[in-house]
Formats: sequence, C-alpha cells, structure tokens
Amino acid sequence: MLVPVLAIGGLGVVAVIGVVAAFVITGWIGQPVPVLGFEQTFDQPINFPHTVHASLKQLDRIAADGQTMEGLGLDCTFCHRTVTTQANAGVPPVGFCVACHQVIGAEDNVELAILRDAADIVGDDGPSPVNWKRVHRLPDHVRFVHEPHIRYLTANPSVVTNSTDGVTEGPSGVCSTCHGNVAAMQQVEQVESLKMGQCVDCHRDNGAPTDCAACHY
Amino acid sequence: MTTAEFGTHNWGMVVDIDKCIGCNACVIACQAENNIPINTQDRVERARSISWIRVERYWEGDFPDAKARFIPIMCQHCENAPCEPVCPVYATYHNSEGMNIQVYNRCVGTRYCANGCPYIVRFFNYWEPVWPESLRNHLNPDVTVRSRGIMEKCSFCVHRIRHESRKARSEGHEILDGAVQTACSSACPTSALNFGNFNDPNSKVSKMRGDKRHYTLLDQFGTDPNVIYLAKIDADKKVGAGEAATHG
Repeated sequence: MLVPVLAIGGLGVVAVIGVVAAFVITGWIGQPVPVLGFEQTFDQPINFPHTVHASLKQLDRIAADGQTMEGLGLDCTFCHRTVTTQANAGVPPVGFCVACHQVIGAEDNVELAILRDAADIVGDDGPSPVNWKRVHRLPDHVRFVHEPHIRYLTANPSVVTNSTDGVTEGPSGVCSTCHGNVAAMQQVEQVESLKMGQCVDCHRDNGAPTDCAACHY
Repeated sequence: MTTAEFGTHNWGMVVDIDKCIGCNACVIACQAENNIPINTQDRVERARSISWIRVERYWEGDFPDAKARFIPIMCQHCENAPCEPVCPVYATYHNSEGMNIQVYNRCVGTRYCANGCPYIVRFFNYWEPVWPESLRNHLNPDVTVRSRGIMEKCSFCVHRIRHESRKARSEGHEILDGAVQTACSSACPTSALNFGNFNDPNSKVSKMRGDKRHYTLLDQFGTDPNVIYLAKIDADKKVGAGEAATHG
C-alpha cells in the first residue's frame, strides 16, 4: 500500500530539488532563468526605439512618407547628459524629448501621443513625468559612478568590448563595454551580468582598486 | 591615473580637546550625513541608540570649582584594531588608506567586533531603520542605508573621500589638503575636529599631530588609533597633557 505513495512523494521531492537546483546553478553562473518575470528587459511606458535615435545603420522600418529610415546616430551623451561628469547617466526630462518631437514624428503616432500628453502639448491634464522603468539596476550597497569609467575607457580604447554600431570615437564608443550595442536594441535589455565578479575582474585587469570600500560604503 | 592614486593616503583626524565646546554639532551633522536612524527615547532607554560620534561630558574637580570637560569620540580607525581579527567573515578590515572599513553586505551580525571594541563606537542595527514620511527624501544617496542585523560605525565619511579623489583625478592633480572634510569636521564651529592625510608631512593634521599635547585614547591597549587627541589646556594646572587620557 505504501509503495506507490512513497514513489509519488519521492518524485515530488526530486522535482522540487531539481527546480531549486536549476535556479541556484543558473544564479551561480550568471543571470537567473529568464522566466517568471526575471527577464532583463521591461515594457516601457513609451516604446522608445534606441535604434531610430542612436543607430548609424539602415533600419527595417518605414517612415510616414514611405521612405526607409536610417538611424539618427545621436551620441549617447546627447540625451544621457551627465554620464561624463556624474554618477548617474541621467534620463532626459520630457521637455527635452519634445524639443524635437513637438514637430518631428507623425501626429497619429500612438507612442508620441503619450509623450506629447506628458509634455502637456496635447490633452489638458497638465505636464507629468514619464515613469521609465530602470533596466540596469545595481544593489543598494554598491556605489557605481559613471564618470571615472567613461574617462578611463575613453583613454584606453583597447579595453572596450562589444561595439556601438561601429562607433569608436567619443563617449558613445565605450558605453557598449557594459551596456552592449544599445543602438541596435528596439527594447533595451541588460546583456552583461553586471555582477560583482565582472566588476572585480575588470578592476583587476586594469589596475583599478579592488578594495571593498572602493564601491561598498 | 597618475595622481590621487588609491592607497597613497593615510586618512586621520586630530581632535583638539581644548577647542571643543561640547555643542554636539558634529553629532547632528553625522546623523544627517550618514543616514543614521533617529534615536527615539525608547531606543535610548534600551541602550540601543546609534551614534557614530558622541560627545562625552565629564566633570573635573568638586562642586564649587567643578569644570565641564568634553571629548568627542568616534571610531578611532586603529592600526591594530581589536574588532578586525574577530570578524569571521572579513566584514571589517583595515584598508591601505589607513581606515577601518565596515563592509555592510558582508556582515552577518555576529557582534563580536562590538564586543571587542574598547571605545564602544560600533553599533548594531536591532531593527529595520525607519524615518518619518516627511524625511523620506532627506536620505543621503551616497551612503548605504543599513538594514536590520548588521553592524555599523564611523566610516570617516568614505563617500566624501571617494568624491574628492574622483574629482582630483578628473582634474589631474593630487587631493589638496583640506579638500576632504568629514561631516563632523565641516560642522565643527571651533575647528576642534580636523581631518586630513597623515602621509603628507605638510598637511594640517600632520603638523597638529606634532603638538606636545597629543595623546591617543586608551593608549595602554596598543591599538594605535588614527584619531589623535590634543589635551585640554588648563590655566590652573599650567599644562593638561595626559590629564584627559585617563578618561575614556
């Protein structure tokens, strides 16, 4: 009588252990399994295409006038203005976006309608910020400052990995080291693990301090 | 990176007791700078208050001639720190800049370090820190908010050191003497608290350390602190060197 019950119970235990082990192992290697909401990307309130703004290549996207579109090739620092001077790269305010998008972009574009509503150009509920979701998030006990990293990588291009659509000059040429080729991303996702092991490896290779208090304070 | 290199400094503090008026401005400044939870009456009564720097008051002499004396005490950043070898997870260690570092994300809360510290300057978070809603946006974004179950202590305002050294490197020069000021030393109205680099023989703190009034707290333990005190000058006693050293 007990044998089938034990067998089923045993299977259940094995299954539970298997699922837990899978999560532990993948967590150990790098990133969690990309299921159950652990993806490294999010649907943003506005489907902002980095391709259109930052890419230097021909896009598989048709403009309102029927022409094929080419990426605008904006420098990363055009919008993320504080990245070379401060800790945060900074997301531009809505007013900065509509400086162009007041006139650029079709009137019936759904995504731009959300932006223009937030900037109080259309609609009558006043200006409001866009609640962008953060994709690259570090734990609260880590202090990451963009400025010295951009400075070092700009001075040492040999360390730069990945590539931003072939850009090698200026700050845009170095961002890809940690962020991947954002210029080719329709929806921004995290491509590097950005875990402490990766930070320490790079710090060690480049003679940067590996003291705990360099980042944890 | 040829200037303001990591590890070329030995940060330390010189506290001139003769200048301390016991105003507690340093305590308030530290509390605000380092996201320290509010010490409510309840916590103080249970001896659970957290105060990275405190001003101890004691009396010298008997009633008609009693004199109030003050001494600010913070983590002494000892070269031979009693807290460091007892930590089982290396959450506290001495770095190459002469500072005793507390790594919050390593700490597992054994509290051995607090028991080992003779200066009573290490504090354990018995609760999750909470602030009133009105203070929500007043937290310092450069300092980690310590959660329940970990130890904390004076960090010599390491975030300010990092900020100044980054600034110096981007501008291509050494960290200037006096550029790095801790929250307490910048708040001190009488310049009793002085922060600087002991490796630079021309820095203000190095010169102050040469004063004959200098002593360290609980010298008999051989902890070799990086916080140097300058004794109170008492006009009645001609010189007070060594007097305050007997108090801890």
